[in-house]
Amino acid sequence: MALLLIGASPWISAAEEDAELKQLRQQAEGVFKKDVAPFVREFCMECHGNRRTKGGINFEPALKAPGGASASKKWPKAFANVNAHDMPPEKADQPNDEERERFLDGLASLKYLSERDPGPFVIRRLTKMEYGNTLHDLLGVDASVADELPDEVAGAGYLNSLSPMQTEQYLSIANAALDQVLGPADHPVKTLPASLRSGASETEPISREQAEKWVRHFGRSAFRRPVTDEEVATLLRVYDLGISHKLTPMAALRLMVKAVLVSPQFLFITPAQTVAKGQKIVPLDDYQLAARLSYLLWATLPDAELAALADAGKLQDPAVLRAQTQRLLEDPRSRALFDGFGAQWLRLGELKDKLFDAAKFPQMTDALRLAMYDEARCFFDRLVRENLGVEELLSGKTTFLNAPLAAHYGVAGVKGSEMQPVVLRDARRGGLLGMAGILAATSFPNRTSPVKRGVWVLEQLLGEQVPPAPPNVPALEKQDQKKVAHLTLRQRTELHRTDPVCANCHKILDPIGFGLENFDAIGQWRDVDDGGGKIDAAGVLPSGETFATPQDLKALLTSRRDDVARNLVEQLLGYALCRQLGGYDEVVVDQLMRGLEGEGYRMKDLITAVVTSYPFRHRRIAE
Amino acid sequence: MFNSSRLNRRACLKGLGASLGLPLLETMGWADAVKGRAAYKPPVRLGFMYMPHGVIMDQFWPKSPQSFLKDPPPALKSLRPVLDQCLMMKGISGVPISPFNGAPHALELSTWLTASLPDAAKRNEIHIAISADQIFANFYGALTALPSLELATMPQTHKENQEGLNEGYYSHCSFRSPTQAMPAEINPRSVLNRLFGQTGTAGAEVRADPLDRQMLDLVIGGAKDLRKRLPHGDQQKLDEYLDSVRSVERRIAAIEQRQREAALEKAGLAPSKRAATDSPPIEIRIPEGDKRSEYMEVMCDLNILAFQTDTTRVSTYIGSTPNGVSYPELGFSDLHHSPTHHNNEPEKVRKVAAITAFNIAQFATMVKKMAAIQEGNGSLLDHSIMMWGSGLEDGNKHTRENLPFILAGRGGGSLNTGRFLPDVKGNQGDLLTTLLGCAGVPLDRPIGIATKEIGEMRA
Repeated sequence: MALLLIGASPWISAAEEDAELKQLRQQAEGVFKKDVAPFVREFCMECHGNRRTKGGINFEPALKAPGGASASKKWPKAFANVNAHDMPPEKADQPNDEERERFLDGLASLKYLSERDPGPFVIRRLTKMEYGNTLHDLLGVDASVADELPDEVAGAGYLNSLSPMQTEQYLSIANAALDQVLGPADHPVKTLPASLRSGASETEPISREQAEKWVRHFGRSAFRRPVTDEEVATLLRVYDLGISHKLTPMAALRLMVKAVLVSPQFLFITPAQTVAKGQKIVPLDDYQLAARLSYLLWATLPDAELAALADAGKLQDPAVLRAQTQRLLEDPRSRALFDGFGAQWLRLGELKDKLFDAAKFPQMTDALRLAMYDEARCFFDRLVRENLGVEELLSGKTTFLNAPLAAHYGVAGVKGSEMQPVVLRDARRGGLLGMAGILAATSFPNRTSPVKRGVWVLEQLLGEQVPPAPPNVPALEKQDQKKVAHLTLRQRTELHRTDPVCANCHKILDPIGFGLENFDAIGQWRDVDDGGGKIDAAGVLPSGETFATPQDLKALLTSRRDDVARNLVEQLLGYALCRQLGGYDEVVVDQLMRGLEGEGYRMKDLITAVVTSYPFRHRRIAE
Repeated sequence: MFNSSRLNRRACLKGLGASLGLPLLETMGWADAVKGRAAYKPPVRLGFMYMPHGVIMDQFWPKSPQSFLKDPPPALKSLRPVLDQCLMMKGISGVPISPFNGAPHALELSTWLTASLPDAAKRNEIHIAISADQIFANFYGALTALPSLELATMPQTHKENQEGLNEGYYSHCSFRSPTQAMPAEINPRSVLNRLFGQTGTAGAEVRADPLDRQMLDLVIGGAKDLRKRLPHGDQQKLDEYLDSVRSVERRIAAIEQRQREAALEKAGLAPSKRAATDSPPIEIRIPEGDKRSEYMEVMCDLNILAFQTDTTRVSTYIGSTPNGVSYPELGFSDLHHSPTHHNNEPEKVRKVAAITAFNIAQFATMVKKMAAIQEGNGSLLDHSIMMWGSGLEDGNKHTRENLPFILAGRGGGSLNTGRFLPDVKGNQGDLLTTLLGCAGVPLDRPIGIATKEIGEMRA
């Protein structure tokens, strides 16, 4: 199994990297002066400069500090708009093709103007899923004890905040969990359950000294780092509070555990060390790094082995960090990576509660929905486990089916409700684009949406930014019904492209979606569409490549594995860092891509590269 | 991209279709009324209920001030019995959303109660403004067991990135601070627990353990120690934590206080808040199925009960989020968003009108119940301001010049109801500023884009 090796040294040495970056930065400065700044002055400043800020965009600050944080947010927008020929607007002076090309190329190098920076960082609260799993691992209660917490989005869109309602729920969940483990407050268990014993007396009475020893041990797991003396003192004050209210020692201990479970050190991943004044960027300490790793891959706290390595200060050693990543990925708990990251990336999370027209699709049962989700989950899991190349996401012939899903696909011989590996002989299936879950998630309740599917392929697979629809654009249903009655969905959608406002984007989006029209809104194969017209799945990509069938389209997209891999790296990095990427992150991604390319972007290597990357291991101290 | 969602089945109780009794109201201040005591003046309550995507204008706006009561427009049919207790105004504009022109739906909900736009430079984080309900909660929240109540029908997990805005803007209307979105409850069972403790079984007690309060106090002390050794950005995060724990502490203290008062009331040593003529608390029935109307009704009932028992005085209910839900009960499976771009095509217009009427009917059911609940010298509705509204006027064109909304209740005598004001000049901030004024919240600065109060609303 190929381990990821970036040079012989542990990390790329700082000096080596700095020298390379310095050179790239100088080049970028030249390109900026020659190709970017003059273009902006000539074509953009009339509306987006001086005192004019049309559409909220003003390039003056960006021209002054092209590598600054605010500029790095503007350049990608400029790229998208100029690339799509949306800007400069039609009535304004137009650059010639060469000027446009040079500007776009120039923008791509501006990332090297950014300073080396791990990006904004702030201590993070556990997500609902992480919190439930952590309680499970810590106390042995079922993770569903956390069900009453509000559902939330993990990763880049995570709302890292805390409301009174959540805090109150934490308190009530702590009560419920402790009722299960230690019995009710007024009638606690006589002896600690074996899983919680560790150093404390097995029977009452628990002495204060035993309570102290015990909570140091328990707190090490719960806080995912050693408990400071100050923290122990606080917790013992809670114990004493219980004793002074005539609680039994066990009940006082219970109150102390409750205090642990509503403490910020438990609810947030907090550093073990104080940052010295004046430091701007610091490496994460071993404990934070261990927690970051296990919450990413397992959605729970570090296990004993990982915790021991953190205690021993070994995680700054890249070989150790890589080995732990491998180990965690091989553990069944790593399904959390799909449930958390994969489902969100592929937009499968919403499939469970998505409504389908019951009259049209009576076969869309809960069992079938679950099988659709599990197919993608098992498929992803296998690619990671076997460290296969990223193009397998599109071309993989081995998938996982159970009886209901096999029937849905028309595959014979699969029995039972368990998902089982099946090598597909039907070339129309295989890979994400032939998966019912993906095809259904990108449809409307009662029909397919070539546009949604096109956007999905571009954004979720290839990582391209599709500009939002301009305001006041008629949706498909709005078209004159008499005029369009005799047209197929494809022909109706193509009307979009006769409108110049729509055409620029839809000539990119639509062909991809049409190429998948052989799959209906729940992913069944069909040769005619709802109106009875024969499906025409042929099309031309903007690059000029043509395809006649979904299989052709799949092959074309598979050949873009560099883009697929880069997008996956970016999506995973954003998820792991719980923020949107920008600025120096692009340089980081470039480096990761170079390291992965030679081996064909293998999945496990790719994940390992992300968790050993500079921004994953460092934090910026906010000024 | 719009995705439809089924009603979350988990939100409804499995196999618990039976009604739940409310055994503990005695401890919540519902001791028997004592006759002949000085009258207690009920406080003003403020409730907000939301529907996205706008309305069909000619079915929503009354034809004239004169016809408002006699011949209300079709969308308001369900409100007819209580229209004399409603106030409608045309001419309140929403927040102009430039520079976020590509995000009309991401912002319709989050600008609704803030009357503000996100900070463009920090658009990928939550950075907007405290919302009107939370300003109210800051002022009155300490007097009730819950500072505020946030309810929603759908989980707030929509993931779509418009104009680089944080996804949270899509599905939140309530902001405790500029950087902190308030999550909403979607499970009626949890709401019931939260309002009244563990009441699954008859005779259960509210859990308000004074020891918990003291324990939290010690935890706060420990958190302050931690705070000292964290960098500035982390400290701000911890301040959110401290704020939320203090609010739980206060809540426990408020329950203790109510329990003491109730004991005194019961012993005849203190006047009861409850008049002899007051209605008993309404009954909560948690539905078995996943019918949207039944689900919304129980959420509204919980809101009523929270107000009636003075457990909280301010609420928000996101009836649905702009990420597209469908209404199978109405006989079609289209996502709400799809037909709103109707281009005046009759079939689509009919669907949007039906969805609007459905949502207003849920609101009407709630305010009609409130009008029937006796409280002090009037009804619960008399002492409340309930606002139903949308963040767009015309979903077809994404306009927001005349935000559609309905006010119900006299706000303790502060609102002059039974009227339609066809040409009010003002914006969403002016409206919210005036509503808070009517609810007795003294503001030191206007809300969002407000420039004035709307005097015509007042009684």
